[in-house]
Amino acid sequence: MALSRDMSMEQAVEMVETLLDGPESRFPLSFNSDLPRIRELFHTATRSQWDPQKDIDWDKLDPDAYTQEQRDAARLYWSRRAWSEYGAISESPALQVRFGVEKRPSDMQLFFTIRSQEEARHAEVCHAMAERLGGYVEKPVEELFQGSVSTHGVRRAALSADIPLEGIIAALVCTAEEIAFDVFKHLDRVTRDPVAKQIVRFIMRDESRHCAFGWYFLEAICDTLDNEQKKMIEDSVVTMMEKVELNGYHSAWLAPPNPASNAEVEADRITYEAGLGATVEEAEKPVFIATVQRIRDQMRPLGINLPPFSHPKLGTI
Amino acid sequence: MDTAVQTRPSPLKLFVERRFPLEMNVTLPEIRALYESGKAGRWNPLRDISWDALGVDDYDPPVREAARRAWSRRVWVEATGLTETPALLMRFCMEAHREIDPKFYLTVRNTEEAWHVECFDRLAEAFGGRIVRPGSKAYEAVFNQNLPRRVLNADQHLDAYVAVHAAFEDGLELELYRAWRRAAKNPVIASVLDHIISDKERHAAFGWLYLGIRAPHWSETERKLISEELVRHVNEVELQGYHCPWLAPEHAGAEAEAEAVLAANGLGATGRSEEEDVIVSYVANARQKLAELGIKLPVFETNRMRAF
Repeated sequence: MALSRDMSMEQAVEMVETLLDGPESRFPLSFNSDLPRIRELFHTATRSQWDPQKDIDWDKLDPDAYTQEQRDAARLYWSRRAWSEYGAISESPALQVRFGVEKRPSDMQLFFTIRSQEEARHAEVCHAMAERLGGYVEKPVEELFQGSVSTHGVRRAALSADIPLEGIIAALVCTAEEIAFDVFKHLDRVTRDPVAKQIVRFIMRDESRHCAFGWYFLEAICDTLDNEQKKMIEDSVVTMMEKVELNGYHSAWLAPPNPASNAEVEADRITYEAGLGATVEEAEKPVFIATVQRIRDQMRPLGINLPPFSHPKLGTI
Repeated sequence: MDTAVQTRPSPLKLFVERRFPLEMNVTLPEIRALYESGKAGRWNPLRDISWDALGVDDYDPPVREAARRAWSRRVWVEATGLTETPALLMRFCMEAHREIDPKFYLTVRNTEEAWHVECFDRLAEAFGGRIVRPGSKAYEAVFNQNLPRRVLNADQHLDAYVAVHAAFEDGLELELYRAWRRAAKNPVIASVLDHIISDKERHAAFGWLYLGIRAPHWSETERKLISEELVRHVNEVELQGYHCPWLAPEHAGAEAEAEAVLAANGLGATGRSEEEDVIVSYVANARQKLAELGIKLPVFETNRMRAF
């Protein structure tokens, strides 16, 4: 690839009002642990680091044990997982910037430093799996599907002073990451290939902390919020559900039916049947519904009341 | 024009990310090696430092007071990374055709910065409590550079930013840390500095490696721009006492005094003359390396130290 500045010059830009538009004012600078449960997550993550190169038993993966069709489907599935994890590397750091600008408890910044590293490990391991199954695929098979997997808008929201941080965390972490975590638990049950299963477990272990971060934060902050602020949180969660999750960001079968998403769904089915890591609509549907119901139940005591959600394939949850 | 309109902060010009095709294969093996080395070299400030051996009570109150100020100042410096590195990572992700390897690497760098902050904060707390701000407003301004905004701004040349902050600045930091380590007699502080130096060797290597990769593609205009940004950084940041407060006694006198006491007691600092030598030597080496990349770095003259 040529490294040419002309390439950058062609790229579109946009003018955005952000919370970085004013002068920086970092003092007083405190590193007190105001959210000790989140500080402990940072310390646990520090103790629990793993390395995709060394800690995965790659020699237990036998691609030849699978048909060409299964390998092709699985490499697309693991590539898609890599795109999804990359989304967190690309967008979530904006939240860390915001924690600093808004002088949120330092525990949040510290934890997010290692969270981003974990997302990098996840992207790395998913890419490595795709490579071993025949080669990483660097974009969706059909362009139509890019809309479902390209972004969930975290960066823009995180940099906007008009969108409350509480809503972003409720939507991104307590909703989207909870769904992802439950899917990983489900994948752990249905995946038979030992290496695929090992990868799922390593990622799941990290994701459990990511989810805990969100709930610890919400539980700490919700008592200080008024009804209007809680309504804004509800709106953020609804947007995440309707525009991102129910649009197929994590689960291809939820994406609007078109040739592109159909191809992804078919690849997932072949991968699932081979035990290489994916799942399918009929197996995941009850998991997805239970997760949404659990999220609703968990938010209710915090004063956040989620409405019913509808999707042609799920009915009303 | 209305004054209110004139003073309203301008919006930020951001690249619109084009995520696909998403390159994830190794394209810059030397940078990927830094990422791998960072993962392999992971450490744990709580587990790997014998904090009980710090021996705070062995030091007189004035020394402890100086130590808390000096280590607080290092928190102020290192904490820059907690917002700057994620912003730099975002910029790499948003600008088309930037490679995956720096993105992976920066996630590790940021965790290391968090560990450093935690160590420095722990030292400041042990010596009497963290000081939450510099002694003067003028010195505060030196820290408030709003680097996240600068690096996210699409008009900011990314390679120039890397040249200033990841190559030149991180390289200088590394040499200062090495000097502080050589002078450290306290075993806990020496151990902290050993771990941090291992990390900072990668941090500095990243910047210089990346410049070496990019340099063949720069135009003369870009080289001149990089040179100008380096000069601006030295004049507006380094010579304002950001790393070495003795360079700006008019607003960083208290911090300079604390560093001197720290140095005299083997608590992880070195004297002014040694730091001056570090700066002179480092900038000479950096000038040579930059020249090889086609970037001219002029000699800096100031009444605070010899020309460098």
